[in-house]
Formats: sequence, C-alpha cells, structure tokens
Amino acid sequence: MAAVEVVDLTKLYGSKPALRDVSLAVETGEFFGLFGPNGAGKTTLLKILTGQLAPTGGGARVLGIDVVADPMAVKAAVGIVPEVESPPSYLTSYEYLYFVSRVRKVPDAEARIARWLTFFDLEDMRRTICKDLSKGTRQKLMLAAAFLHEPKLLLLDEPFINLDPIYQRKVKDYLEEYTDGGGTVFMCSHLLEIAEKLCDQVGILHEGQLIANGRLAEVRGPEPDLEAAFLKLVGGAG
Amino acid sequence: MHASYTSRRMFLAFPTFVLLLSFATGAAAPKYLTVTPLPDLLLVLHVAIFLYGLSVGAFGFLGRQYQERATGYRNYLVTQPSLLPMSFKRTFLGMYARDAIFYLLLILLPMTAGLFLSIPFSHFRATSILLLFGAAMISFLAGMSLSFFMSTLYVRSVPAFVAAAGVVAGLFAAYAVARVIPANALLPGLAVQLSVPPVAPLGADALANAAAGIALILVFVAGAVALVSDQYEPKNAYAGDELPGIERRLARFRTYRTLLAKELLDLKRSGTPVKMFFSFVTPLVFLAFTVWFVRYGLELPIGFNTVFYAAMVGFFGVSLYNWLNNVDNADYMATLPLTVPHVIRVKLLAYLLLTMGISAAFVVAISLMNGDARLLWIALPVMFVTGLYSVVMTAYLTGLRTNSFLFDPGVLFAFSAMSMLPDVGLAVLSFTIDAAPVFAIAGIALTLGALGLGTLILYRGIDRKWARAAFGD
Repeated sequence: MAAVEVVDLTKLYGSKPALRDVSLAVETGEFFGLFGPNGAGKTTLLKILTGQLAPTGGGARVLGIDVVADPMAVKAAVGIVPEVESPPSYLTSYEYLYFVSRVRKVPDAEARIARWLTFFDLEDMRRTICKDLSKGTRQKLMLAAAFLHEPKLLLLDEPFINLDPIYQRKVKDYLEEYTDGGGTVFMCSHLLEIAEKLCDQVGILHEGQLIANGRLAEVRGPEPDLEAAFLKLVGGAG
Repeated sequence: MHASYTSRRMFLAFPTFVLLLSFATGAAAPKYLTVTPLPDLLLVLHVAIFLYGLSVGAFGFLGRQYQERATGYRNYLVTQPSLLPMSFKRTFLGMYARDAIFYLLLILLPMTAGLFLSIPFSHFRATSILLLFGAAMISFLAGMSLSFFMSTLYVRSVPAFVAAAGVVAGLFAAYAVARVIPANALLPGLAVQLSVPPVAPLGADALANAAAGIALILVFVAGAVALVSDQYEPKNAYAGDELPGIERRLARFRTYRTLLAKELLDLKRSGTPVKMFFSFVTPLVFLAFTVWFVRYGLELPIGFNTVFYAAMVGFFGVSLYNWLNNVDNADYMATLPLTVPHVIRVKLLAYLLLTMGISAAFVVAISLMNGDARLLWIALPVMFVTGLYSVVMTAYLTGLRTNSFLFDPGVLFAFSAMSMLPDVGLAVLSFTIDAAPVFAIAGIALTLGALGLGTLILYRGIDRKWARAAFGD
C-alpha cells in the first residue's frame, strides 16, 4: 500500500495556482524528498497532506486516510515538522513534550520524553521556557515532538534547518534507521546534498507542477549529482 | 498589517460604518439637545475619545515581549531595530505616528464626515464641526500619548509607574469625587472644545488651550521616547515542571484538561492577568463615570441599580476572551490532532474559570456599596447569563482571532447588534424594577431565557463554523 497517494491535486490561492494537477505515490518504507525553488508549492502540498489546507481539486490519501474527509485522523497518525519552528512560548521543553504526549495519548510517555530529551541533548534545557530557546533548539524540540509517538509516516518540512552538523548527522542516522524499520518519510527540503544521501525517491516541483518524479538515479539522469539535475530541470543552470 | 486583518473592501467598510453612525447621531441631535445640554454631551464625547486613545497607545509594553516571542509566521516592525540600523526610540516614535494616522483615518475623519453630511438635519455649522474635529484629535492624542508614556515607564520601573498611575488617578478623583478640579483642566481637548463656538466665541483662550494641549501631548511623547530602551536584554526564564500537576488538578475537565492546564500556565507565565485586569477595569471605570455623571452631573432621575451593573459586567467580560487569544500564537497546534473548535471550547472554559468569580465579587461589592443587596438574587443570574452569552457569541463570531475579526465591519456589525440589543433591553428593564417589579422581572427572565437559548445555539454553531479553520494565519 502507498503511504502517500496524491491524485491530480490542485490548489488555488484566489485565482493564483499554487499546485497544478500534482500526482505522486510514496510506498511504505521509502524516503521521499520533494524539492523545488522557493514558492514552488512544496509547503502547500505538505499542508494539504497534513490536513491543514483543503485542496481546490483532486485528492490525497495518507496511510490510506482521505486527507479531506478525515484530517484529524491524518494528524493523529503521522508525525509533522512544520516549516517554522514554533513550539508554545510559555511551556518548558519538558512540558511541551509532555503536552504533545497527552494530546496524542502516547503510552509510556515519561520514558519516551526522556529518550528524546537525551537524544537531542536537551536535559540541561528541560526547564527553559520555549521562547528563550535558540532556533536550533526549538527545531530539535519540534523534531522530538514529531518522533514521540513513533508514527508510521513522518511529514517533514525542512527538518535539518537550523541544526548544527552534529545533529544533522544524528537526525539523518535516525531517519535511516526509521525507514529501515518500515517507517516512511516525506520530506520537503532545499538541502540537495543531504537529500541525495537519504532519499530513495525524489520529486521536483516547479511553479506548482511536478516536473520530475522517480527513483533518485532516474531523476538525476546523466548529471553528476542531484543539484546539477535540479538546476537543469528548473532552468537555473548557468 | 492593520489592513491585512481583513479584505481591502471590508477594511474600507469600517470607516463607512463610523460615518453612518456619526451621520445618524448628528441627524438626531435636534431631538436630544432639547433634553441634554451641549457641554454635557461634549464632556461625555471627549471622555470617550480620551479613553479610546488611552486604550490604543500602550505599545510601550511590546518591546521585549515581541522581541522574545516566537511569532511563527508573523514578524513585527518593532523587532526590526535588532536586524537593521534603526533605533528602538525612532521605531516607537514611528509606531506612534503610524497609529495616530491610522485612527485618524479610521475613526476621527469618518466621524467628522458623518457630522458634515448631517448638516441638513442637524443644522450644525461647518466651522463648529471642524473645531470639534480639532478638539477631538487633541483628546485622542492626549489619551494615546499618556498611555504610551505610562507603558514605557512601566517597562523601565514598576514603582515609578505605580506612582505616576496614582497621580493620574488622584487628578481624576479630584474631578469626579472631590470636584475640586474641572474636567477641562484634565482633558485638554475638552478645554479647547469649551473655548470655541458654539460653546464660546473664538478668542485667545482657544489658542492658549490648543497650545497647552499640544504641549502636553509633546511632553508625553518626548518622555515616552526618552524612556524607550535601545537594548532589550533577553531574560531567560526557567520554570519547574508545573504542567502535569495543574493538569491533574483539572482532571474533572476530562478531554479539555491538558489544554486547559496549558492555557492557565500560559497566562501565569506571560503576565497576561495584569493586562486582563486593567482591560476589564477600564470599561468599568468608564461605566462608573457615566453613571456618576448621569446621576450627579445631568441630575437625571434614572435608577441605576445592581441589576444594571450586573448586565454591564457580563458584557464587559468579552475583552478578557480577546486576551486569552493573544497570549501566544497557535501555529504549532496545526501539527497535532486538535481542531479549532476544541481549542475555542478550552478558551471558553478558561474564561469561565477566570472571570465568573471576579465578576460576581464585583457585582456583590457594588450592590453592598449602593445598599442594593436586595436585588442580588436577580443580578447574579443576569451577570452569569450575559457573561456566558457574550463570550460564546464572541467566540462564535471571531474564533481564535478576536482582535483581527473585530476589524472586519461585517463581524463588528453582527457583534454590536448581538451584544447591544440585549444589553440595552436589560438596562431599560433594570431601570423599571422599582416602578413595575412584575413587568421588569418577567421581562428580565424572558430576556435571560432568550440569551440562554442563543448561547446554546451559538455554542453548537462553533463546531460547524470553525471545524475547517486553520490554526495561525
């Protein structure tokens, strides 16, 4: 079964198209990377897949759930890292993870919170309220919140942004383990180098249209790397 | 940013609404001027405009708060001096000028235009209307400047703020209670107004009063700008793991307890209750002033009693719901299995927990002060039902973005109609309690029944209206 299935998806903001007839499928256990220039529609697509936005046309299913008919079930089933790291300002790091565990009804919450606080080296900051955390630490917290309930699918918007190289490495390793264990990742990013090492399948979105979609080697084609292929496809080379 | 709260067309409709209201008020002037002297009406008008200025000028509080706050997709002009070669002093002065122009265009100019349009009915002189506009501008800017000054003083020194607030309160008490200072000595716009036609012939007094008013405004603004800090040091805050304990204490609220606990913790840590208290007390002070003025200034035989106050207190609680929506951004909630209606219901619960006790205490206190405790048996239900109705109606109309939606004239119109009609009805019925008790109490009971039913319908409508709404912008 496809973990993510998008069929003829269209989204208009007023009369301006953000997505035009986008169709794609991501199989369970795969790491899918969606790339595109700024304003290509990546975040819009991710918001539709997470039930935050309704499409104008077409449809999408996530883990077999129709995102329009039951957006709450989608949010309950998946882990989401949004484009902007914005945990609640007045909760501490620990309290935010506790809050997420209670909203998501996570069993064995204390052990899981301790695991992720340790993983991201947040123990020293467990009592710092979120508004006083650095951007990188807030991003770690958003990642921990998305991983906490061990979902079958992670929908990640720029997950590596603001992370230092140590934690980029740690998160990469974790995501590889996660997909090896049967989890699926749908990631939007600009970091082609990282993506090239992680992704099984990639899609390139340009001006709301999916202009390339397939196995990494297929999309790369004869070009030396994904960056060169990307620049050629979106017309940014030379 | 103000314009982005709503569509351009709807945004422009707000001044149109003010213009129509002003036109209607002007056109009806020949009727009410026969029973109420013009200087008395001008006093109420200038007090209202001064208080309005006071309520919109407190942006001195914002510096550190916006600097530190994780604002998600939003960003604010006030944070730009951290990024650009600009000073905070200059930025705050810019904000003052921007808001002065904004409210001039949004309210004072349409108000004046409405009065001009009413000339065929009101027979006001055009020069009098222009002079009213100038005097109203001074009243508004005086309130806004005082608020700007006080808020920057608060950020610098709380004791100095308390002392200054004491002086201001003392001056107003000297007018309202001791009656040793005239109102026009405190309100420079009123002083100008009372020294120009049609109240007095235009002369040197008018110029002197206008100069004094402008000087006072400049002194407040200069003082505020001088007090603005050019460096907002981040204050790292640490806290214990309080959320689980609060959540356990709220176990009876079942599916709402986690969010409700977070809501109460947010309020505690953000310092919002102080602001909520002042935003609740300010209209009550204005109400107390109006009642005092009608009783002792106009000497009208209107029987203000505990039931009247109870109805007003219930309706004033709406501003507290607005504060609950302004404590923090809700963008992160989009990543969780939560819906906007669920969060609205949590805010309503928080509102009830926070305000009903205080409101009831206020009504009891005012009834004891007025020797009017005999009416508490009906006043308290009036307060509870109107309070509940008002907040549910506001939640239904504005969701989690009360401040933004109340800039939408369509929503504002619905809000005004849905709050003012029952409010006026209850006020009128309360005045007749002693003269026709059976009629008054039956009318109040009927109104409360209708409001109760309305509350239920609107509460159920929240799910339908907001189910598909997104968190954040």
